[in-house]
Amino acid sequence: MQDAAAAKHDAQEFEPKVVAFLCKWCSSAGSDLAGVSRLKYPANAVPIQVMCSGSVSPIYILSAFNKGADGVLVSGCHPGDCHYLKGNYYARRRIFLVQKLLQFIGVEPDRFRMSWVSAAEGVKYAEVITDFVNDLKALGPQTKLKAKR
Amino acid sequence: MTRRAGVFVCHCGTNIAATVDVKRVAAELARDAGVVFSNDYVYMCSDPGQQSVIDAIREHNLDSVVISCCSPNLHEKTFREASSQGGLNPFQCEIANIREQCAWVHKDRDEATTKAVKITRSAVERARRNQPLTPIGLPVTRKVMVIGGGIAGIQSALDLANAGLDVVLVEKQPTIGGHMIQLSETFPTLDCSQCILSPKMVEVSKHPKITLMTSSEVTSVSGFVGNFKIKVHTKAQYVDPDKCKLCDDCTAVCPVVVPNEYDVGLNDRRAIFIPFAQAIPASYYLDPESCLGLNPVVCGKCANVCEADAIDYDAKPKDSEIDVGAIVVATGFDLYAKDKMAEYGGGKYPDVLDGIQFERMCSASGPTGGQVLRPSDHEEPKTVVFVQCSGSRDPAQHCVYCSKICCMYTAKHATLYKHHVPNGRAYVFYIDIRSGGKGYEEFVQRAMERDGVIYLRGRVSKIYQSKGKLKVLGVDTLAGKNVEIDADMVVLAQAMVPSKGTTEVAKALKIGRDKDGFLAEAHPKLRPVESVTGGIFLTGAAQAPKDIPETVCQASAAASKVIALLSKPELEHSPVVARVRESHCTGCEMCVDVCPFEAITLVEGKAHVNEVLCEGCGTCVGTCVRAAIDVKNVTQLQVFEMLEACMGGE
Amino acid sequence: MIPVEDIRARAKDLLQSGKVRAVLGYRRSTAGLLAEPAFMTTADETAALVLDPTCVGNLALYLVNEKKRMKHARQSDKRPLGIVAKGCDSRAITVLLQENHIRRDEVIVLGVSCETGGMIDTRKLNKALRGKGATSAHFEGEGGVRVSYVGGGTILPGKDVLADRCLECAKSYPLDADFFFGEKVDERPYGPRFAAVSAIAEKGSEERSAFWDAHFERCIRCYACRAVCPMCYCDECVVDSTNFIVGPTTSADEKADRVRWINRSATPSENAMYHMVRAMHLAGRCIDCGECERVCPVNIPLRLLNTMLEREALEMFQYTPGIDAEQPSLISSFRDGDPNDFVR
Repeated sequence: MQDAAAAKHDAQEFEPKVVAFLCKWCSSAGSDLAGVSRLKYPANAVPIQVMCSGSVSPIYILSAFNKGADGVLVSGCHPGDCHYLKGNYYARRRIFLVQKLLQFIGVEPDRFRMSWVSAAEGVKYAEVITDFVNDLKALGPQTKLKAKR
Repeated sequence: MTRRAGVFVCHCGTNIAATVDVKRVAAELARDAGVVFSNDYVYMCSDPGQQSVIDAIREHNLDSVVISCCSPNLHEKTFREASSQGGLNPFQCEIANIREQCAWVHKDRDEATTKAVKITRSAVERARRNQPLTPIGLPVTRKVMVIGGGIAGIQSALDLANAGLDVVLVEKQPTIGGHMIQLSETFPTLDCSQCILSPKMVEVSKHPKITLMTSSEVTSVSGFVGNFKIKVHTKAQYVDPDKCKLCDDCTAVCPVVVPNEYDVGLNDRRAIFIPFAQAIPASYYLDPESCLGLNPVVCGKCANVCEADAIDYDAKPKDSEIDVGAIVVATGFDLYAKDKMAEYGGGKYPDVLDGIQFERMCSASGPTGGQVLRPSDHEEPKTVVFVQCSGSRDPAQHCVYCSKICCMYTAKHATLYKHHVPNGRAYVFYIDIRSGGKGYEEFVQRAMERDGVIYLRGRVSKIYQSKGKLKVLGVDTLAGKNVEIDADMVVLAQAMVPSKGTTEVAKALKIGRDKDGFLAEAHPKLRPVESVTGGIFLTGAAQAPKDIPETVCQASAAASKVIALLSKPELEHSPVVARVRESHCTGCEMCVDVCPFEAITLVEGKAHVNEVLCEGCGTCVGTCVRAAIDVKNVTQLQVFEMLEACMGGE
Repeated sequence: MIPVEDIRARAKDLLQSGKVRAVLGYRRSTAGLLAEPAFMTTADETAALVLDPTCVGNLALYLVNEKKRMKHARQSDKRPLGIVAKGCDSRAITVLLQENHIRRDEVIVLGVSCETGGMIDTRKLNKALRGKGATSAHFEGEGGVRVSYVGGGTILPGKDVLADRCLECAKSYPLDADFFFGEKVDERPYGPRFAAVSAIAEKGSEERSAFWDAHFERCIRCYACRAVCPMCYCDECVVDSTNFIVGPTTSADEKADRVRWINRSATPSENAMYHMVRAMHLAGRCIDCGECERVCPVNIPLRLLNTMLEREALEMFQYTPGIDAEQPSLISSFRDGDPNDFVR
């Protein structure tokens, strides 16, 4: 009983660590717009700007978990809007497979997410992060792939 | 890896400092290995702020610099410039975005500060591993292709040619002039469209720097800014423009009668014809689609009668390859098809016209010689209803957007009608009147007050034929009642849509289109005449609905962008490009398959990057399972270290 | 019935006529039940060639190894290599062709259909024989395996003793062969494809997590799975820390900048990372020869990871590895209609 209470308390206190890979042209710009619009969202996600969601290698995602991320987000331009025309289509296929693999070995599906956020979707970016952080809070820390150091 | 990094944390007044403890960020970074200087300042982008970067680089012998401030989209250039003045390679300066992506979006000072530290640290890890790079120089071809010979293309071509550049103007139709040459008079001054456009068309045809290619289409484009290779397909020219004497003998004998596209079907033409008197090139044109067979055995009347011997049935289409340094796309618009307006008769009723048909009718050179006559019985219509926003601003069924010019041209149409038929009644149904522009509002007011055009605020729900009249069912929302008008003629202000073929052109040029199909500009405010692809510029209604003055502005703007681009003997290409680690490359060609720019080829069994074609997107990096390719200054090692920095600290 | 005599005769002919520099096949091993790979360079050696349910190894691996060897060989014999290839071996060859690792004119494929049979799983066989050591195994009729052991013999049903990968085989005969032996059999008397994966996938997330934790914990990082895989032909593996530039001008600093994506220590997290990275790198490339799982000294069901992705590739992207050397690979292609619902 005491344990359960403690666990609940922990869950409330738990602040998930999130890495967000944002493509430069859409999602990072969308996140800038969220800033310009002074929207508020949790501070858990640290953005890493990449040129294109297509450049996100599966090993980046696995490595983020390995370094202790509780959740990883990859966000790119909507299909058809890629600055490089088709990078996000390759990303979509690759990331689908990474997600399936993570789920298969028992990583909770909610720990890894992909989103399309355009440069005009500041509100959506804020929502994506807020929802993600809330879902991760419910899951608690990620331990499976986290290296012990 | 550099050993003497400098960190500069900006307060941005209170924009950052209100939420992020900038002193703490600077202090924490100062403790990091490899950081020898860390400071904060109220406005880093100010002159003294920039100077402090320059001074610190010199004083502390910094070998990499991170500015923790606003989005790199705003000041990356500023600070790379400053770093360069301090003696660093500009690529050894990185920006940590702690304003848009941190201070502005969080409330808790402690959390925001912790995140700002991580963002900054991650930028430091990246900057420390950046290679000094120099932009790649590219030779340029000082020649421009303008695609589309409407007013936009004509204006761009003339501006470019007058600046001394060689111009190739490609037009799909047999003549240039576009939609503007079809118009009767232009708002708000009511000057004759042909009178103001045809001198420009003549100038194009006479200009020594302009090569005009009519009946031609761009089929494919390869290459890149400064060095495009364009394939153009020219249809067979059965009438030689150089020999044609414009005597009209051929038309007189041609037995074929088909609707005239230029008059939008309001009258007919022959299979051999001149689109209109001022056509450029000034020549008759043989339309192979309607001709009986291009064969003396079948008909051959026109060739027999042609004294100038200008007609050659054996003419062949031509494919040419043209090298240019820049491209201006001016492919224009079409009207949203009347057929799609089922509620307004779906194009079935002859007396329901679209805007351009009405323009032709009002034009002195038009099918009725400038008289307003009902197409069905050639009677003068006594009641005419003009319907604005026909197909525009209708997300449920048609186009979402406002076509922008219809309020003005409808006011013009109603005015012209009243000038032609002073005792007639003109009704205009509108949702809003959008008359922003010099002299525009006055023009609309004149139509209402002086010319007595009756404006009804509301939409038309249905138009149908009944007893020789067109029943127009609408609503007058200001009076709050339904309106039913027995009209003799209806003119629909159809929405503007991208011209037929815009999709193909966009595909050939590999430039994007927006959700409505118009060509997408690189930035809606700051780069409105550029496409996302370097060296390809947009102008006119192909980019968005716009009127003639705006089109001319944009055409000249695009031309000046091209002139600036081609004014240097060499162009600079970003050196942030992919690089192959040959020892690891197995030549599996996956990167070759995915590269959106065809920048990678296999050379002796290893991937090879053409740095000039590479845009540095890194799709190859995400694909390569052998870690054999990286993008300079966004290497996998850098991402690894950035991840470490983002996750570390606890 | 697979005509071993015909294969021998063809191999002999190829060597005699000098069309190939060697034939890769199987022969009886001096140790244990399983046949061993043989690199036959003379016509006489072909007499020892065998093909039975003990020929488990994927000979495509030796094409890869031979290429590495030839790179450093003093003399290079440019004649092609003959290779005996089962359905799975042949798919591996196709992927190697697709990735330009070998050229089609470098190999002469002696394709063999497994028909209704397959290769034995020694663990299953030992279990079925209750400890009696098998001395030989042969195909026997429709899906049967005739096994001899000291002091006797028996016929066992294939579904009890064949390897999982054979029971779930995508195509039991080669699609691309210069010579073909046996019958093309499409209806095989076994269960559906991906049965093993489906069984795991149906479990709950926590149960799956525990299942893999227990397996990954045992991994000793011997890299046998990597060594036996014909697709793991990279000179330097990403798992062994990579570094971008190594050349005469590479500084000590740069040498220190090695990306240690995965630590070498055999801890559960690093083991999981290793196997996941391997699975991702094999997505659309693994042709399910099951060798990784067979050679694993600690019995980690590695095949599951690869076939899971193979199943997704087939079901979501209609992609089958190893059937077309001309198609772009799974991850270097896309379709507009690829799944999009999982993206927010």
